[in-house]
Order: sequence, then structure tokens, then C-alpha cells
Amino acid sequence: MRIAAALRPKQPRVFLASLGVLVLLAAAHAIGLARGRFDPGRGLGLAFGILAAAGYVFAAAYPWRRRAARLAPARFWTQAHVYVGGLAVAAALLHSGFVWPHGLVDTALLLLSGWTTFTGFLGVWLQKGIPARLTEGLRVEVLLERIPELRARVVAAADACIAGAGDVLRRHYRQELRPRLERPHPALSYLIEVRAGRDRALEPLRRLASFVAAPDKARIDDLIGLHIEKLELDAHLTLQRLLRGWLVLHAPPAAVLLGLLAFHVFSALWY
Amino acid sequence: MSGPVPKEQLRQAYEARLRLLVPADVAELARLPLIQLIPEKIRPNVIGKIQKYTHFLDFAPGQAVVSAGEWSDSVYAIVRGAAVVLEPAQEAPWKAVMRGAPPPGPAPTSRPAPPRVQTLGVGDLFGDRSALSRFPVAATVSAWTPLRVLRVRLPALRMLTAVAPELKKRLDQRYREETLAHQLRRVGLFAEVDEAALQRLRERAKLLAFSPGQIVAREGTLADSFYMVRGGYLKVSVDVGGADLAVTYLRPGDFAGETAILLDERWPFTLQAVEHAELVRLEHEDMVAAVGDKPRLKDRLWDEALARLKTRGVVARNPVASEYLQMALETGLVHGESVLLIDLSTCTRCDDCVQACADTHGGQPVFIREGKRYRNWLVPTACYQCTDPVCLVDCPTGAIRREVSTLEVTIDAPTCIGCSNCATRCPWNNIVMVETGSVRKDGKPEEVAVKCDLCHGRAEGPACVSACPHGSAVRISFKDMAAVRSVLR
Repeated sequence: MRIAAALRPKQPRVFLASLGVLVLLAAAHAIGLARGRFDPGRGLGLAFGILAAAGYVFAAAYPWRRRAARLAPARFWTQAHVYVGGLAVAAALLHSGFVWPHGLVDTALLLLSGWTTFTGFLGVWLQKGIPARLTEGLRVEVLLERIPELRARVVAAADACIAGAGDVLRRHYRQELRPRLERPHPALSYLIEVRAGRDRALEPLRRLASFVAAPDKARIDDLIGLHIEKLELDAHLTLQRLLRGWLVLHAPPAAVLLGLLAFHVFSALWY
Repeated sequence: MSGPVPKEQLRQAYEARLRLLVPADVAELARLPLIQLIPEKIRPNVIGKIQKYTHFLDFAPGQAVVSAGEWSDSVYAIVRGAAVVLEPAQEAPWKAVMRGAPPPGPAPTSRPAPPRVQTLGVGDLFGDRSALSRFPVAATVSAWTPLRVLRVRLPALRMLTAVAPELKKRLDQRYREETLAHQLRRVGLFAEVDEAALQRLRERAKLLAFSPGQIVAREGTLADSFYMVRGGYLKVSVDVGGADLAVTYLRPGDFAGETAILLDERWPFTLQAVEHAELVRLEHEDMVAAVGDKPRLKDRLWDEALARLKTRGVVARNPVASEYLQMALETGLVHGESVLLIDLSTCTRCDDCVQACADTHGGQPVFIREGKRYRNWLVPTACYQCTDPVCLVDCPTGAIRREVSTLEVTIDAPTCIGCSNCATRCPWNNIVMVETGSVRKDGKPEEVAVKCDLCHGRAEGPACVSACPHGSAVRISFKDMAAVRSVLR
């Protein structure tokens, strides 16, 4: 997947504005450092902390975007979640003064911030790259929940195609091809190339065409078409699962991060 | 105001009507004056073909045969009795007369008729203009006495007008006298034409019918006629390097040829009927006589010719847009006032659109994220909100309707009796029957029809579009080709 193309911002002006805010924050930090000793609990350090906390809370409110539909459509909240979340991490780093924290909770906060940000950008990369690859590289378009049903249809069509075939083709189909058609074969290689492994998978059938009679050659062409369809279903299965599954890496740690943030704020206020 | 009619009563009334909607009896059909217009030699054959599209219907005095504003695909011929034609303003006084009227007498003159209504008797026809032009019914026609009519659906009407010149002449004359002048006035070109000239145009206009795929005018040939679309759709295409590229399409009320014939040019494009199309044709000499002496007209026409050249250039440089228009013509998207499309190159298949749809419609989504795919665009199974919603025809309870001057075709669930007429009639299978969970008195599961209604009443508009986190779901109308080209790049 071309990383640069996948990460190209949808709203360049928003991206540039966010970069501008980042530069301003960094400039403010530099000015604060130049003026005296930096303290995360006071003055500029505290301000960065409050900004970071507000940013985290805003980003965590993303699941409630439908209730805010009257204010703005969902794509606005998605953009806001990404940019505000990114700026919140920057503010958290500035709040820490780029010093490794003392204590378990603060260390966990920093690590979780990093992990959530990393998985967040991973999600952006996947969500930008996978749809384009699915659309450009594959003929079929399927709902994830219907893939088992469609795979069963491919098998049924292949069974019907093989009826009346010669011994050689029938044996190959029974021993080699049908097991491959029946079961899903997701593979992470589809993330790199949606047609990964296609030629290798079809090679045995293509070679077999040299050893069969003319009617079976036509059957082989049909079986190749069905096998390609099945391979495309595997690609869809892998990539659509990734599109949904990456959230497992992002959302639960983000929830823990929010809990630790609440503890951190409470302890800072109490003590 | 009376309360809503119980659903069970609506269903029984519909099923009683359904029992009567059997194809007309052949022997009874053959005796009708309307059928007698068919040449005797081919009459039995034609009757055999049209029988399944014809039905005898009976109405009690006061019952409406067709109501103003509804969609109809049929012409009605009065077989026995009398009917009245009521403009919308006359309906309330009419109903008052009917409520106070004595029991029906043997003849219309046995009771005083309300003022200023048109009465129809045996042999009269009505409903032809809304059936052929696919516009809503203009006026209510109600039974004045016990009324028997022959209902002739559009496929049969087309066959009859093709084989019975007298019938075609009669229907054309009605259109010519009552509707054509009004439609011509709506063409900017004729806005300043005086009444005498308009009358001449009306008399000399030819009313033609074209089958799907038939060429109306070919690019490069001499433009000797002006065409106005009365019903159906025409594709406008240009030949670019041997490829036939669709540029735009013409709908009822649209027209073509005025520039070419008044500037003595050849046809700059090809016109082809996409479906059954009814056209009005004016010849070259009639056009010139009507508008040829208008001083500012030629300047305007030159501007239009230049605009068309620009459009042709745009199409030639961007044939993909033409491909989408061709796709829209073939799949029926051109009929849609608001078509949902999903950009698969940015859609993350999260189903937020479907979830938002379900949340807006009581847990039942009214569209399916599956359908035909064109390049990177998916056309989901969601109502197109057609300009000419054929699904409205034959709804026995009026549950599916479009309010005047609105876009949305909506279904009122409490009134829907689940007959599935709308679902059957939809050419694009965009209406789905779902079980409500209840059981009818006959033991069958109760069903209602569901379809996209553009989230009618929701301030933010369609939930599917506003809920998409990546802006992949869009709604477009193929009426605005410039907008289509900018969206479907």
C-alpha cells in the first residue's frame, strides 16, 4: 500500500490549520522554557495539561457523534476526532516537559497515549488505503456477513460445473480444489496486494488444461472464474475484518487511558 | 373529521375489489364501441392480447373512479351510467350534494347537478392524458349514477392506439384541444407567440409514439423538426471518435431542435427513445412562421448553440461522465429525484449508514447496502424517489403517496395493508415487504411495505448521508448533469 497516498489528508486546510496549532503550542512551550523553570503543575505546564485532558475527553466522545448530528454531520466529527486527538497527545507531551514521568500511573498514561495515537494513525492508514484497494483491485463487492453464503454458492456452482467431467478433472476437483473453495482462507498478504497468491492458486488448474479433453477445458475455464471469485471473497473477508478489527487495538486502551486520566486529574487536584 | 379507517376494514375492501379486478370478459369486450374501432380482421387477435390489461369496474353513485393528484396508468371508458368531472375546488360542494341527494334515479336529470361540472356518459373516455403523459390526475371523476367502466391499462392503450387510428385520432384531438397549447406556452420560445399562431401550431402539430431504442433524430442529418417530449424519456448522445457518448436526456416537457431548424443547421446530436416515448413534432415551416420574425430570438439561439458545443466538448474530454449517464439511462437512475450512491473507494464498510437508517425508522433499515456497481460507485437498493412514481399506481388505501410539490414518496405504515402492489410495481425492487410481528385474522403474518423516504421530517436530512463518517454516501439527481459530473468524477 502506498503510505503517502493513503495518508493524504481529505481536508488539506484542516490539516494545515492543525499543523499551525501544533507549531503555536511548540512555540509557546519554547517561550515558557526560555522564561524559566518548567513545572507541569503550574502555569504553562498546567495549561498544556488541561488542553490535553480536554482533547482526550473530546476524542473519547466520538461514539456519541450521532447525538450531535444536528450540529454537524458525522464526517466533521471524524475529522475532529483525528486532529483533536493528535493535538491532545502533543499537548500531553508538552505538559510532561518531555521528561520521562515518575510513578506507575503517569508512566502508564504516557505509554497508553502513545499506543492510542499509534493505533489511531494505523486506523487512519487502514481506512484510507483498504477501501481504495478493494475497489480498484477486485470485481466483486460483498457485505461481510454474506461472505459465507456467497462462498457456499461458489461451491454449489463448482459442483454443478464438474458434473459430467472426466476422471482427471473430477479427481483434482475433489482432492485439491473443492477443499480450497469450501473453507475461508484469509491472509494478511491481501493487505499488501489484493490479488496476492492468485497466480499460484490458479496454476494447477491452468496446467491441468493441457491434459484434458476439450469439454473439460471449458469446465476448467469456468472453475478458474469461480476460484477467482472465491479468492476475492477471501480478500474481502481479510480486509473488511481488518477494517472493523483494528478498533480492538484502539478503543479499549483508549478507555483505560480515560480512566487513568480521571485518576491523574483527581490526584493532582486532591494532592 | 373522522378517525382513521381500521386496517382490517381496508384490507377487506381491497380484497373485495381484487376479486373484481379480473381480466375483462372477451365477449363483453368485443361488444364495446371502443373495441369496435379495431379493424375487424385483426380484432380477435388484438382482444386476446389486451384482455389481461382490461377490467370492468362498477362504482356506486358518489364513489370516485380517479382522484385529483393521484397517479394513474389507465384510461377509462364509460360502459353504463354517468360520471362527473370535478376540479379540486368543486369536490366539497359535490360531496355535499351527494350526501343530501335522493336515492339514485334512472337518469342524471332526476336530481339537480351541482353547478359548473362536466358530465360524462356512455362511450366517453377519461384518464388518457395522465396515463400517456405520466402526470398526476388533474381532476376527480366520480360516479353520478351507478357506473360501469372499462379500465384499460397503458400496455393495452398503446396497442389500441397502434391498431385503431380512429381511437388515436380521438385521444390526440383531446390532447390537442385541452393540453397542448398550455405545454407549448411553457416552452420559452413560444412565450411571445400570439394566440392565432399558437392555434395554428396546435392544429398542425403531429403527435407521435416511439418504441424503446427507436431513433428520433440522427446526428448530422438535416434538422427539419422540433420535438417536445409528452411522455417517456429520450437519450441525447453525440458521436465522439466513433463512440456514442450520452450527453444528457430529455424528460416530459423538455424539447429539442429549435436551434438547429431556426439556424438551418444539422442535428448536433442523436435523439433516441429510452423507453416508450410520446412526442409532439412541429415542422420546419411551422416553426419559422411562428417565431422566425422575432428579433432577439436569433441571438438567444446562437447562445444556446454555443452552450451545446461547450457541453459536447466537456463530454468529449470527460467520457466517464457520459458513461455514468449511459449507466443511469440503462438502470433507470434518470427517473430518480434523489438517488443514493456510495463511493466504494472511501467507504470503510462500517454500516454506520444502515445503522443510522434503522435508528431513524424504528429499528428497521429501509435500504440495503447492496446493489449494482459502476466503477467505484455502488447503487444501493434504496428508493430513487422517481419523478414518475409508478409504485403509487394501484395502492388500494393511498398508504404510499407523494404530497404535492414534495420530493419524498412516503408510506404510511398504519394505512398499509401489505398487499405488495407497490413492491411488485417498482421496476428497481427498491420496496421491501417486512413482517410487523403481528398476525392477521386469517392467520397469515401481517406485512407492511417499507422504502426509503429521505428521512422525511428529519431536520438534518437523510440519516445515511449525515451518518457516514467519510462522506462516502451522497445523494444526487441526474436532472443536474453539471452536478453529476462534479460528483461522479
